[in-house]
Amino acid sequence: MSQSAEKSIFLTALELEGVEAREHYLHSACGEDASLRDSVRALLLAHDQTLNPLDEPVVKEGAFKLESLDATSEASPAESADEIGDTIGSYRLMERIGEGGFGLVYAAFQEQPVRRKVALKVIKPGTGSAEVLARFAAERQAIAMMDHPNIAQVFDAGVTADARPYFVMELVRGVPITEFCQRSGLSLQQKLDLFADVCGAVHHAHQKGVIHRDLKPSNVLVTLHDTKPVAKVIDFGVAKAMGQNLTDQTVYTRLYSMIGTPLYMSPEQASMSGLDIDTRSDIYSLGVMLYELLTGTTPFDRKRLDTAGYDEMRRIIQEEDPPKPSVRLTTIDKRRMPTLGDHESKSHVVEAERASRRQHSIPSDLDWIVMKAMEKDRVRRYESAAGMAADLRRFMSQEPIEARPPSPTYRLAKFARRHRLVIATAVLMTLTLLIGSVASLYQASVAINERNKKEDALQDAIKSKNEATVARLEVEQFTGRLKDANALIGAARNDEEAERWGAAFDGYSQAVELVPNYYLVWVQRAKLMIDLKLWDDAASDYSNAIQLGAPLDGPQWQGIPALFAWTQRWDDLAAIRSTVLKPTLDDPDAITWSLIRSCVVTADEQIDFGRLANRAEALLIAPNVRGGRGPGGPSGPGGPSGPGDRLGPGDRLGPGGIYSQDAFDRAPPRPPRSEQPESIGPGLTDQGPKTERERSANAGLGIPGNELGRDGLGGRPESGGRFGRNDRGGFSTPGGRGPGGRGRPGSRGGLIGRGGPGERSGIEFLPMAIKRYVTGWAQLRAGNFERAIEHFQLAGQDRQWPDADLVHGLVAIAQHKLGHEELALESLGRADQAIDRAMSQLEPDPKSLRLWFDFVERLLVHREATQLITGSLPRVDARMIAVQQDSRALLEAAASPPF
Amino acid sequence: MTSNVTQILSAIEAGDRQAANQLLPLVYDELRRLASQKMTQEKAGLTLQPTALVHEAFLRLVGEQDQRKWDGRGHFFAAAAEAMRRILIDSARRRNAEKRGGGMLRCELKDDDVALEAVDCETLLSLDEALTKLAQEDADLAKLVELRYFTGLTIEETAEILGVSSRTTKRNWAYARAWLKRAIDSRSDESEN
Repeated sequence: MSQSAEKSIFLTALELEGVEAREHYLHSACGEDASLRDSVRALLLAHDQTLNPLDEPVVKEGAFKLESLDATSEASPAESADEIGDTIGSYRLMERIGEGGFGLVYAAFQEQPVRRKVALKVIKPGTGSAEVLARFAAERQAIAMMDHPNIAQVFDAGVTADARPYFVMELVRGVPITEFCQRSGLSLQQKLDLFADVCGAVHHAHQKGVIHRDLKPSNVLVTLHDTKPVAKVIDFGVAKAMGQNLTDQTVYTRLYSMIGTPLYMSPEQASMSGLDIDTRSDIYSLGVMLYELLTGTTPFDRKRLDTAGYDEMRRIIQEEDPPKPSVRLTTIDKRRMPTLGDHESKSHVVEAERASRRQHSIPSDLDWIVMKAMEKDRVRRYESAAGMAADLRRFMSQEPIEARPPSPTYRLAKFARRHRLVIATAVLMTLTLLIGSVASLYQASVAINERNKKEDALQDAIKSKNEATVARLEVEQFTGRLKDANALIGAARNDEEAERWGAAFDGYSQAVELVPNYYLVWVQRAKLMIDLKLWDDAASDYSNAIQLGAPLDGPQWQGIPALFAWTQRWDDLAAIRSTVLKPTLDDPDAITWSLIRSCVVTADEQIDFGRLANRAEALLIAPNVRGGRGPGGPSGPGGPSGPGDRLGPGDRLGPGGIYSQDAFDRAPPRPPRSEQPESIGPGLTDQGPKTERERSANAGLGIPGNELGRDGLGGRPESGGRFGRNDRGGFSTPGGRGPGGRGRPGSRGGLIGRGGPGERSGIEFLPMAIKRYVTGWAQLRAGNFERAIEHFQLAGQDRQWPDADLVHGLVAIAQHKLGHEELALESLGRADQAIDRAMSQLEPDPKSLRLWFDFVERLLVHREATQLITGSLPRVDARMIAVQQDSRALLEAAASPPF
Repeated sequence: MTSNVTQILSAIEAGDRQAANQLLPLVYDELRRLASQKMTQEKAGLTLQPTALVHEAFLRLVGEQDQRKWDGRGHFFAAAAEAMRRILIDSARRRNAEKRGGGMLRCELKDDDVALEAVDCETLLSLDEALTKLAQEDADLAKLVELRYFTGLTIEETAEILGVSSRTTKRNWAYARAWLKRAIDSRSDESEN
């Protein structure tokens, strides 16, 4: 039979409605050929059947997943270039003993200069992005700085023939400390001794400026030396030298998945403020480990954390207070029982039972030590690992510990317990009525105190258990929905990536319905709406997100105030402005470029624009002054508007076609002036959290990563570019999405290779043109129109700034305010032309808009200028409406399946 | 790597038949590597979809600059679709073997094996078989199905890549879809009887 005949008959029949019509046609078309008729009939039948595998996605969602997540599991390893028996340097690989996100660990044999077994850690082939290389280098450097009997020693480091770095370290054949303590039945005293050693090792590292950042039992191995257990801290895989800016938000979140279990992660680590990790984060992890040593279980449930989505995980770690170890021990059996069945929890139960048999209770002092180490607020933790060790030793020798604010009775109770015999003897010997009664009264008070305390604790425990049950149910429900929502968002992101806008929209909308109280889902949909230029929808979603308490200081809020202004959501605009301004009321240093830009979008009597303008002027010249401190107020006596402050020619850009680093960061050279440092001084005093905030803000401003890391390893960014579309950069999610997800790995890698602490400054890296534009805007709002125009003119002359014509509308406003109507009209004409250009470049392609907030600001300014000067609003551009209609069509069209 | 693939694509464009053979293994390796890497990195519940994978592979292999002006992407997607098919089918075969082998003969599963359900495996394998048959009848139709099914391209995208109108693509798809279903069903009828 001819296939083409079959096909054409089938297709024609398909167009006919009804079985009879089709049958009729089949008979006439196939004539005598019964087999042809049957085969077409079968085709038609097959066509109408619904269970066609081709209609399903090729693999179900989530089908790709790793078989073996456990780094040390026995499952077959990924293909790799390193085979057992190969040599790397002078080391022969013998056995693979571990595998992490990017590293492989082998047991290897060294021939020269000594023969010994070593551990060799080498990065996986194919994962050698600049980011990873830099991390590896940091690790190697970090380890080399340490020398401590409880830290695995590093012998050697190098680079393989295929440019993968490796290092060679002491091979520690031990078991994780928790496992060791379980198995060997150590006494409490012995456990604590061992643990105090670990604290000592961590303290040593901290003194060398090294933070481990991934302390967990599998990184603290115990071996027996003769019969004495010795703990060794291994794997400084995520260590970083203090003061080096290894992480930015994006890199950090990307690495989250590699860091592994969040069980031992401190709240500040979980919070993604990656820049902010210090030694106290390790103290927290030590606290978690001690908790586990004492109770046989971790403070948070392993299973729960592992299955929670990223945000839920963060919330748990940051907000939930785990029960004290002693309380955990008494409730552990009940809590564990229902989860019997999986191997891990079974072993936990067995261990817990054993633990509770062994020690009827955990002394409350240990509770305090653990809880102090695990304080959510790191200020309240131990200041050092040595401090924690000292407290443990104090406990062991029954001295008063520091962990609890010492009350007199507490100290006395301690003293009495330590010298019980002495006191008793003294009481017997002196036999004075007075002392006798004092002593017995004292004993009685201690006894009563203890009893009351226990009763209170019991009541508390019952109460909190009931509350916990209710709360847990709620949390479970919420987490369930959150998980679904996260899955939806994940799929929708993929849809977006594949430009299936309708499907993406549907996904986000379903997520919104599922967890309407969760601001993140609104933000997700809002961003899609932004891409589609559906400003009203975007603003509405953002408004919801804000009302749900979305934190407003992240880079993803860049441009939102302008959006609110454009869509005339004045309440939302006021809310966002007052929220961001609040922290700056008594801390003018907190005023950043992005904050200023947020505030100047419309005039507002509530806002002290003079203050913002002064700050902008100070920031404008700040790059030349690093760490300067002066006693003066936010603005020096002369103010920033003296004649010497005129914008000199020095800050004009060179003739180069590309913005060079120099062109950007070089502030106008100017003679040092006496009042200048004073006016800048306070701006740089607080470099801690602000630096981070500002840097994350940068990510949203189209500043590619290696802008910040010019000494780093990353090459030039291959996407985005200086003014590139990068508005998502700072919005972090697991597996973080770079500029539109198109960036090649490593293009942001430069961040890692930043130099030492000296590189850190509280200055945002913004193109000078944009700094001037924002400063001018602030001066305009502050009423300094001439000064504003100066800034705008300089900004507008900048050829490299593609949106330089943004300034015309603002100049028009300023000229109008000065009463220069002709000039104002002239500038307005230019602004009209600029709008026209922008509109003519508008494309329905959702990925076409380079910097959406520049676009919205342009609309906004043009509207204000037109209204001010001509007295009427500009007409809504037809091209804008057309594009929005196209966008809606895009949503509709793609939402319905092709068949 | 980037330039390598770009060169091959240019060669194919220029009519070099041999070049197409060099493309597949490169794409196949890249997809596997990407999948494996993704899975390691994104264990926290992120899902991975073939479509996204293929797109990423394209960006990585062909490169950012070239992608807009590049009109040889059809060859790339064809190769990617075939590579994806092989990866999935290999996975399904290993799954099946593992199931049959029980605990005795533990089949070697790869890190980047796709966690297919048993149902999926059966379906995939029978679909693969039917698709092979279809390719003997009409190679272009089989290619269309590969593109649509294994890389998740839409009708419009597929049409663009194959250089035919979307109406034709739609019709061809309808025919191929019914054809394959008929082939799968008749085969399972045989095995039941």
